Amino acid sequence: MNAKLKETILNPIFKGNPITVLVLGICSSLAVTVTLKGALVMALSVIVVTGISSLILSLLRNTIPGRVRIIVQLVVVAMMVILVDQILKSFEATYAIDKQLSVYIGLIITNCIVMGRIEAFALGNKPWPSFLDGVANGAGYGMILLIVAFFRELLGSGTLFGIDILNRFGYVPNNLVILPPFALILLGCIVWVQRSIQKDLQEK
Amino acid sequence: MNTNNNLYTVIYTTVIVVLVAALLAFVSQSLKGKQDANEKADTISQMLTAAQLGTKAEFQKMGNAAVLAKYAEEIGQAFTVDLSGNKVADLPLDQVYSPKQLKRQNYNIKGGANKTGEPELPVFIFKDGTTVVPIYGAGLWGPVWGYIAFEKGSDTIKGAYFDHESETAGLGAKIKDDPDFQAEFAGEKADFSSANVFEIVKGGAPKDASGKSILDNKIDAITGATMTSQGLDAAIDTWLAAYAKYFQGANIPAKNKCMCGAACPCGDACECDCHCHPGQTRCECPDCPCEACRTKNMEM
Repeated sequence: MNAKLKETILNPIFKGNPITVLVLGICSSLAVTVTLKGALVMALSVIVVTGISSLILSLLRNTIPGRVRIIVQLVVVAMMVILVDQILKSFEATYAIDKQLSVYIGLIITNCIVMGRIEAFALGNKPWPSFLDGVANGAGYGMILLIVAFFRELLGSGTLFGIDILNRFGYVPNNLVILPPFALILLGCIVWVQRSIQKDLQEK
Repeated sequence: MNTNNNLYTVIYTTVIVVLVAALLAFVSQSLKGKQDANEKADTISQMLTAAQLGTKAEFQKMGNAAVLAKYAEEIGQAFTVDLSGNKVADLPLDQVYSPKQLKRQNYNIKGGANKTGEPELPVFIFKDGTTVVPIYGAGLWGPVWGYIAFEKGSDTIKGAYFDHESETAGLGAKIKDDPDFQAEFAGEKADFSSANVFEIVKGGAPKDASGKSILDNKIDAITGATMTSQGLDAAIDTWLAAYAKYFQGANIPAKNKCMCGAACPCGDACECDCHCHPGQTRCECPDCPCEACRTKNMEM
């Protein structure tokens, strides 16, 4: 694998993480991180949507009329989001989680990461790197989601993936952690940690 | 190729939209069966939860097949009634009403342009006598619906479960997610004689000295979700009022009525068959030799 491709994959995971550096996709990361299971399903859905939409649009990139390119992007992204939603609804194991995530699966279409990466990367690059870029950005988003959900489920419900961890020791779940504001506080802390490691992000 | 040509742009967008629409229609059609099965199992688990036969979380872990089996084991009767409380038709015991069907009946109850016929409201009676009826109405952002279970032959509520399409998470969504809100219904009594059958009171329902809600037809609304609480309250009122005749005529045993399938009130001395009015559970013995039985029938 050449260095440029490696950079495409690794950059969104840490150095150019869509949530902590680009500050995209904040809204859904506050909403779906109450449980690890919800966050995991959301993360996988976003990875699928960003990856495949980037791939399709990169394949089409030379044929798309410039004046309607955003509309074409929207159509493809919307199609992917509906497909993911329909598939989640069809399986017994994911039906309940789809109901719990409710509108947020549909709102993946408004997640700036998806359109952002298509505009910035997929329309100017070959299909394979575009696909990897989409997947990597989805993964970077998903990673932050899982970190936030880990703390929120552990402290807010005393469980991890629904399995009791803290409650057996007499832990009283903290209701503040369940509410969206706490997710924002956690996100702030993650950004803080990242900026203290990665000094070049700090404004002079 | 000039991709900025008008004709090209129009053809390109048309083709891509038609392709995407065809693909989505195909996927939606082919997955519909599975989605309906999931929805049905979910609806059944809501009814079982309302009837206090388990919790929603337990049913979720059980899986669809086990939920359907549990329902088949517990359900005793299912039929539809009209607004005068008379039975319209029997329902197959494995049939439930999807939110879409409830929506149609909701229009039929309310009348107006969307009315498609006379209301046929489902009643589900479990083997232990618990009677479960659905409710449906408008919340703040979308529909709210649910199931209310009544104790055997009584206007006392045994339990309730509510669901919604898009109420605000953490506020209005509490009608579904907060077991404490649903638990408030247990023990309360619906007042079928009034148009305001049940009330969800903003600012708090009347409490007794120990701070517990008095077991009347009032419970506390959800803090921060006034509109959802009001919507749910209206949905419950509309639907329970539609069922009022059924409950008044049948389910609440007045002195002179016997339950369907039970012996005549006058007991062994009466040799006639007890007939049930369609949809009702009072018995009818027109030729009963027993004086008491005939008198009772006349009182009805």
